[in-house]
Amino acid sequence: MDVPRLIRTQISTSELNPPQDLIDGINNGSVALLEIVKALGEYLTSTEDDVRLKGLTFLSNLLRVINPAKINRQATSTLTNFYLSKLDDFDSLPPALHGLTVLAKLPAFDDAAAVQVYKGVVEDVNMKSYAQATRHLVYVLFDTLLATHRSALKQMGTAFINSYTKMVDGEKDPRNLLLLFSMDRVILLEFDVKDHIEDLFDITFCYFPITFRPPPNDPYGITADDLKLALRGCMSASPYFAKMALPLFLEKFATATGQSMKDLQQTMAACFPVYGADAVGERGSELWEGIKTEILYSSDTTIEAAALSALESLIRTLYPTEQDAPTGLAQDIIKECLTILDEPDKSQALAATKILAALLRASPSAGKFAISQTLPKLFRQFNSPALPSHRSPILSTISSLLIAAQSVYAAPNTTRHHNVEKSLEQYRDGLMDVLREGLRTQGLKAPGIRGSVALVEIPAFWGRAEVEDIVRAMDEILVHDEDPEIRPEVIKGLTSISKIHPTTIESITLPLLFHNLPDQAPGASEAAARDKYRSILGSLSELCVQPALFQTLVIRITTKLDLLSSVPAAPSSDNDESMGEVDYRECNIAYAWDLLNTLNGVVDAKLQSKHTDISKYFEQLIPRLYTLIVGASQPRIGNAKPLFSDRRLLSIVARISETMMWELQPERQAKQFNAVYAAFEKGELKGIVHEPSQVASSSSPLRNGASTTEQDLIAIYSASVQGLKADTVLPFGSAPEYLSSKIHWAINIARDNFQVRYALELICAFVNKRETELRDSLETILDRIWEVDITDTTKDFEIRRRALLVYLHIIKALALLRQPLAYSALNSVVEALSLSNLDPEFVGEAAKGFGVLAKGKEKGSHLTAKLLHAQKLWNYVLPKLIEGDKDAQGKGRIVYLVAFASLLPLVPASLCLSDLATNLPLILRSLSLANPVQRSNAITALTSILETENMSADVDKILHAQAGTMVEGLLKSALVEEGTPSSDKVRSAAIRCLSTFPDVIRFEVLHSTKSSVLKELGKALDDPLRSVRKEAVECRAKWFRYGQAT
Amino acid sequence: MSRQLDNDNPTIFAPTTSHRRVDSSRNAKSKLWATNPTSSDEDDESDYGEAIEYGQGEEREEIDEEEVYDLLRSITDPEHPVSLEQLRVVNLEDINVAGNRVLVYLTPTIPHCSMSTLIGLSLRVRLLRALPPRYRVDIRIKSGTHQSEHAVNKQLNDKERVQAALENKHLLSVVEGCLATAGKRGSD
Repeated sequence: MDVPRLIRTQISTSELNPPQDLIDGINNGSVALLEIVKALGEYLTSTEDDVRLKGLTFLSNLLRVINPAKINRQATSTLTNFYLSKLDDFDSLPPALHGLTVLAKLPAFDDAAAVQVYKGVVEDVNMKSYAQATRHLVYVLFDTLLATHRSALKQMGTAFINSYTKMVDGEKDPRNLLLLFSMDRVILLEFDVKDHIEDLFDITFCYFPITFRPPPNDPYGITADDLKLALRGCMSASPYFAKMALPLFLEKFATATGQSMKDLQQTMAACFPVYGADAVGERGSELWEGIKTEILYSSDTTIEAAALSALESLIRTLYPTEQDAPTGLAQDIIKECLTILDEPDKSQALAATKILAALLRASPSAGKFAISQTLPKLFRQFNSPALPSHRSPILSTISSLLIAAQSVYAAPNTTRHHNVEKSLEQYRDGLMDVLREGLRTQGLKAPGIRGSVALVEIPAFWGRAEVEDIVRAMDEILVHDEDPEIRPEVIKGLTSISKIHPTTIESITLPLLFHNLPDQAPGASEAAARDKYRSILGSLSELCVQPALFQTLVIRITTKLDLLSSVPAAPSSDNDESMGEVDYRECNIAYAWDLLNTLNGVVDAKLQSKHTDISKYFEQLIPRLYTLIVGASQPRIGNAKPLFSDRRLLSIVARISETMMWELQPERQAKQFNAVYAAFEKGELKGIVHEPSQVASSSSPLRNGASTTEQDLIAIYSASVQGLKADTVLPFGSAPEYLSSKIHWAINIARDNFQVRYALELICAFVNKRETELRDSLETILDRIWEVDITDTTKDFEIRRRALLVYLHIIKALALLRQPLAYSALNSVVEALSLSNLDPEFVGEAAKGFGVLAKGKEKGSHLTAKLLHAQKLWNYVLPKLIEGDKDAQGKGRIVYLVAFASLLPLVPASLCLSDLATNLPLILRSLSLANPVQRSNAITALTSILETENMSADVDKILHAQAGTMVEGLLKSALVEEGTPSSDKVRSAAIRCLSTFPDVIRFEVLHSTKSSVLKELGKALDDPLRSVRKEAVECRAKWFRYGQAT
Repeated sequence: MSRQLDNDNPTIFAPTTSHRRVDSSRNAKSKLWATNPTSSDEDDESDYGEAIEYGQGEEREEIDEEEVYDLLRSITDPEHPVSLEQLRVVNLEDINVAGNRVLVYLTPTIPHCSMSTLIGLSLRVRLLRALPPRYRVDIRIKSGTHQSEHAVNKQLNDKERVQAALENKHLLSVVEGCLATAGKRGSD
């Protein structure tokens, strides 16, 4: 390599970044660094400033990118000296600093060099004359020296700190300050700063409080909080600051407001512990005055919180241990609070409570003293209040203190324990009295519950008897209080208690609740009784998630269901179905559904919290539920309609059994499926129920000619298949034959949509889970459906429709697995869309049918889905739809749009965003479709696109360009208009989507539409439905604020 | 504190427990069901069959006192970080809705409260924005609770004066501040 020539070219063309082959050459040893320096020689020593600068920059750029190991000791020291000689050259300073920073990190760069470089910079560089970027380089060099040669700088002693403080004095740029603050902190913590504390005080506290506000779209991303935290780190780094800092704080109280006040309080909280009890104690009462004002009078809750943390820090600093007698300030604070508490209903009483709670949290001794002064007084006030209405705030204060105590004593890893501090010990009886009173008095229950639970949670405070007492009182509220706001409080409390004392809840609360559940549903007019059982079930569904309590729930609910099933159904002989009878049956169905739904909810909640005990309950639960519904499906004499033949009950039993089935171990699952298979294919229904005597029939419920109620059992068959695992052994030989028989049933035998739906789910699940066993025959099966049932226009339309649904469900099952067959089969459907002139009704179905695929793997579904299945399907179908849309004319295009809108829910916003230029026009056109479901799909997609954070510049541009059109389209869907089908869902969705615009779209783009949007939304305020109106109000409020200066 | 507060220590009330809405609109049969058990089936209907709801067929839920109260309760007091509900400045009993007219009485915390007009203005702006334009809204001081009741009433119900007040940038920003929490509707 001809180094001199290369260098010449580089410099003369002003290409100052070293070429890659030169870097490689140095790194692999073929070119020596010395060679380059020599070649650069004439430039480095040139008398022309311009040329010299180029040479120097090239050298520094080179040093930054080559392997540091290639710079040897000799080179290091030579280069260091060379750079040092350039420091007083104004233009050469930046490259020299770059070079020195690289050198300072080398192992060959020793302490002496560090001191030499530092001194050189300090002597030769006049900071005031350089721009921010250059000053930044100086600080980076200092930072490097501090990191690598700290002890050498430390040994410089006074000389270092004096020169350092002079160098950084007057810096104002936030980028530089952030770096400075981190260096300041290191110096304050590690250097001997006692004698220079005033200088250091000057260069740190002069920035306090920080009022920096970053410019809009700040590319450096430095926030005021970054600076505040960094500065706070410096201010709280050294106890020597105390003498000067505390007067400064006191001075700032008078002037700081808003964010600065918050900063001041938080900074004090950080500084007090460092400054120490002696220094802080001297100014304690003055500090307290400043903190107090913010707690008592501030209208900003975040400032109040900051002030409370400052107070906690103050007290913790002054009274750290139990041995520090709470004299002086603590006494004064407590006295003031007690005076305020004389009027417990006033807003300052809330603040006083918070102050006392802070004391309790902060210090064992001051806290205990606060309790001993406060509680007796509050008890007195509670027992003989000045006004009856005072009792509620008094009890709230007591409870808040107990909660503070709980947060101290029951926290994980706490060092404070009640059985050591005993702060509440002497008030046991008093507390029990007021809490018990609270739990049974109207208006005092909420604070009563909160206080009681806090005490239960303090370890080893109450014994079993007291806890039982409290639980009984809370149960009483649960059963008898009709206030809907109290119940959740009780439940929350009992749930917390059940984590510590599960047996107490099991033996006291549960029996009481179950006892209060009726055996039969209350009549249609007994709304109160119905609300009560619902409220009890609501309580149970939250309590019984606990593993210890679930067993009881299963037993009790199945018992109730058994009782309900034996309620004589409509007396069939007399008056044929009078109104009253129908209602009575309906009441019982609703009750049974509520019971089952509770069970389902608890099972789901347990799965969510990953409880493993669910499969244990399979035997106990599923055969019993099957007894009920299979028993009810049996053919009967007369027109009796047993309760459990109701389809809503059937659906929810199916849902429970699918979940339970999925949780079973493979062997057990195979056994269960074997029984289900025998029941449905061979009529051996006795095998799946708990009480075979309830089942008379021995023929298959799926046979041709079975009654509707028998056929309805497909729901549980389908659930069992959906709960299957992929590796469970199946009881039949040929999977294709099995599948064909189910397809035949779905297309030709099922009676109505309910049965078809479950059959379709069964088919989809089976194909999805057993694709490997079916692989060879699926194509034939699909072709046959397409040829024989779908395209044969002579067949019944219903047959063709069902066949299409079967076809699409199989495609869905395969698409989830990303099987190629899915896409080739789907092609037929896409092609069929072009036939809208010949077969309009069917093509309409086909277009809507894409909705089947859009569902993908729904929440709670047990289908197998491979990664990126949605993307693959979308990327396959979308171009075809777009192409078809282009080729079609007039009305023929609508079907493609319908297909697009139906498929939309399949894909996440990120996928839409990846090709927004294509997708957005289609979405916008879909907003004008007639069907509200498809419209909501489009709106939902639009909302999630708009809600996506950090969108790229391109997306941002497209959205801003189309914003007006989007708003216009959405407004149409937001209102009820004569003749256009609408639904509350679509209107709510449209309004919700509209309300995202003010957050996402810049105002100048939409300012001309603001007034018309407000006007149109004014009409939405008059929507017939309350829920829609509510959305409209919030959305309109947001649009009113849109574009207003904040 | 930059300014002496009018009432620096007002009485705070616990938020009123929400009133159970008596649902008269739903028919007797649907009341049996807490949640709609058939909802999942209905969703499917729209895929498999025809089940399109027409807006015209929906039962209308009229705007009532409670809905108006919900709109107002969580507005923040200009002096304290608490809601008007907690200060009992607005109460459900003091709201009347009849036909296209809404009448709201507000109760100042003290008789010389200079904030009453500002609170009244906030209420008016909120209702202006949140009620359909067909409503005529009257906002009055509850009789006997304020020294200059009539003056305030006059000010609050004079269209031009309200308009003029809202053109004052500073005043509007204070009102917006009070309204910022209005969307909570009593649920914290």
